[in-house]
Amino acid sequence: MDFASEMILSTIRMATPILLVALAELYSERAGLVNIGLDGIMTFGALAGFMICYLTGDPYLGIMAGAFGGVLINMIYAFCTITLRAEQIVYGMAINIFAPAVAAFIYRVYFGVSSTLAQGTLMAPLAIPLLKDIPFIGKILFNQTPMVYFAYLMVVFTAVFFSKTKAGLNYKAVGEFPRAAETLGINVIRQKYIAAIICGAMAGIGGAYLTTCYVNTYSDGIVAGRGFIALSAVIFGRWSSSGVLLACLLFGFFDALQLNLQVMNNSTPYQLFQMIPYLCTLVALSVFGIRRAGPKSSGKPYYREER
Amino acid sequence: MKTKSRLLSVVVPFVAVIVAFGIGCIIIAALGSSPAQAIQYLIIGAFGSASNIATTLVKATPLIFTGLCACFAYRCGVFNLGGEGQFVVGACVSVWVGVTWGFTGFAAILTCLLLGALAGGIWGAIPGILKITRGLNEIIVSIMLNYVAILFMGLLYTSLLREGSVPQTPAVPEATQLPRIFSDIRITWGVVIALTVAIVIHYFLFNTSGGFRLRAVGLNRTASRFNGFAVNKYTLASFIVSGGIAGLGGSVELLGTQYRLMSGFGQGFGFDGVAIALIAQLNPLATVFIAYFFAVLRTGATTMQVGTGVPTSVIDIIQAMVIVFAVAGFALVRMPQIRQYISNRASKKEAV
Repeated sequence: MDFASEMILSTIRMATPILLVALAELYSERAGLVNIGLDGIMTFGALAGFMICYLTGDPYLGIMAGAFGGVLINMIYAFCTITLRAEQIVYGMAINIFAPAVAAFIYRVYFGVSSTLAQGTLMAPLAIPLLKDIPFIGKILFNQTPMVYFAYLMVVFTAVFFSKTKAGLNYKAVGEFPRAAETLGINVIRQKYIAAIICGAMAGIGGAYLTTCYVNTYSDGIVAGRGFIALSAVIFGRWSSSGVLLACLLFGFFDALQLNLQVMNNSTPYQLFQMIPYLCTLVALSVFGIRRAGPKSSGKPYYREER
Repeated sequence: MKTKSRLLSVVVPFVAVIVAFGIGCIIIAALGSSPAQAIQYLIIGAFGSASNIATTLVKATPLIFTGLCACFAYRCGVFNLGGEGQFVVGACVSVWVGVTWGFTGFAAILTCLLLGALAGGIWGAIPGILKITRGLNEIIVSIMLNYVAILFMGLLYTSLLREGSVPQTPAVPEATQLPRIFSDIRITWGVVIALTVAIVIHYFLFNTSGGFRLRAVGLNRTASRFNGFAVNKYTLASFIVSGGIAGLGGSVELLGTQYRLMSGFGQGFGFDGVAIALIAQLNPLATVFIAYFFAVLRTGATTMQVGTGVPTSVIDIIQAMVIVFAVAGFALVRMPQIRQYISNRASKKEAV
């Protein structure tokens, strides 16, 4: 395959986990919950996905386990920030410390400290009939794992949900002005918990993608800051699902570029290429700057009885 | 009222530690070992002999630095999650100076420490500058810079400053290593530097007008701006100082403990620092204490693993649970219903 199509193919592959997690953050922030614990949730999702995939040999069960694990971890965050009203940034940080520690412990206890890497099964690509036969794009876009299709369908669904449906508008109101939402009969607390469940599941799936579709092993630090890159994608994409998609494709492109350059230049130290995604994220963010465009009550705790 | 909130700020972390240990014991028992025996080994490991106590202090030193780094920035209302990157950058500069500049002794030590702190300060200034001028979220910037710094360190030990076939840099010459306080125990002057920094930071924050303004900016930016405080100046300064503390920590760790860079240097110290600062409720002296407690757990964990076969990662979980419970606990006691309950009980006591 030539360089251009190889680049597009790996861009799509690398953008998918970031996209899944960025959508998770979008659902969370739309209900006023800034969650910086995405890296932690992803790590736990990656482990849960890997374990189940390894034990059952079924990557789809692995993805489901990742979603479940993500929800489990995010419920801790949800309880503490929604019910106890702990500071969201602080608690997200606590999750970032807690979840990887638990994941590392479970992996170590189950697999021991042996040198041989346990290997799970990778999800097979699912070619879509007819569409896959379109020259050039067919091979790139329609011969991917089902998780890639899922991620892109979620973008469309999210766009429609937040702009065209009543439930979506109610959902958004919780993030913009919870007091007004409450007076209109929306159960703000319940909506925030629902948001946390969606966020946990999506971020967990994003993590599980890494261990069931991308590589077939688990290692500490496998997430490598992708949760934070997803967080920047939400800001960069100005809290709209199409913007988030573009941002994720851009960051995915940097990742793909890095990988391909590494393969092509054996003599140059690989670290120089690995820096590319992080540096480019920074440059992209600083060139375009951040206009405050997010939900207005994002990050603020909600006191139902306060006047 | 003030003494009561003081009391609560000690009680909450204490309860968090006990609950975390309780769950830790259940996990140890579930693994088929005796929790009592494990804790016994843990205590022996951390306090059992003079050399064990020294090891604990050595392990506490870098944590004190990264804890103070997180604490100082957050006092000014900004989140510096880049402690690890700043720590690593400080160490990189120190190893470069120590190995290639060709002079040794006290002058070299001083140069390494100062340039290490400077490098950390510059690395820490980047998120500050981008926040002030471009409005970027400092959390994202500082995290991205962590990865860049760690990869840069990798570049040093795998190619630029590599020594032989093993991916590591050469060790700094013995004359440039931090001297020991007592010749027969491993403790170096690094501990003293860490404690001095903690005391200076504490004095600055609570006893000078600059520290007062910095805390005011952290508590309410808008009010501070209307009071004529240079909010942006304090924000940037807090980033630079905070990065400088972490960079100095990296230097001290390199010159006093590791002597060379290799894979895993400084790993996790940044986030641990944040955890420590949060449990210590941003008090620099309490930060020292909590950092020491974390170090006790770590040294003890190794002995525990050897003695009982319980993996050291149990201790990582206990540590993580302490932060999860402590932060939840602080939020809990701040809830209106709980506050009401506490003050009701207090007034009842007074009535009796």
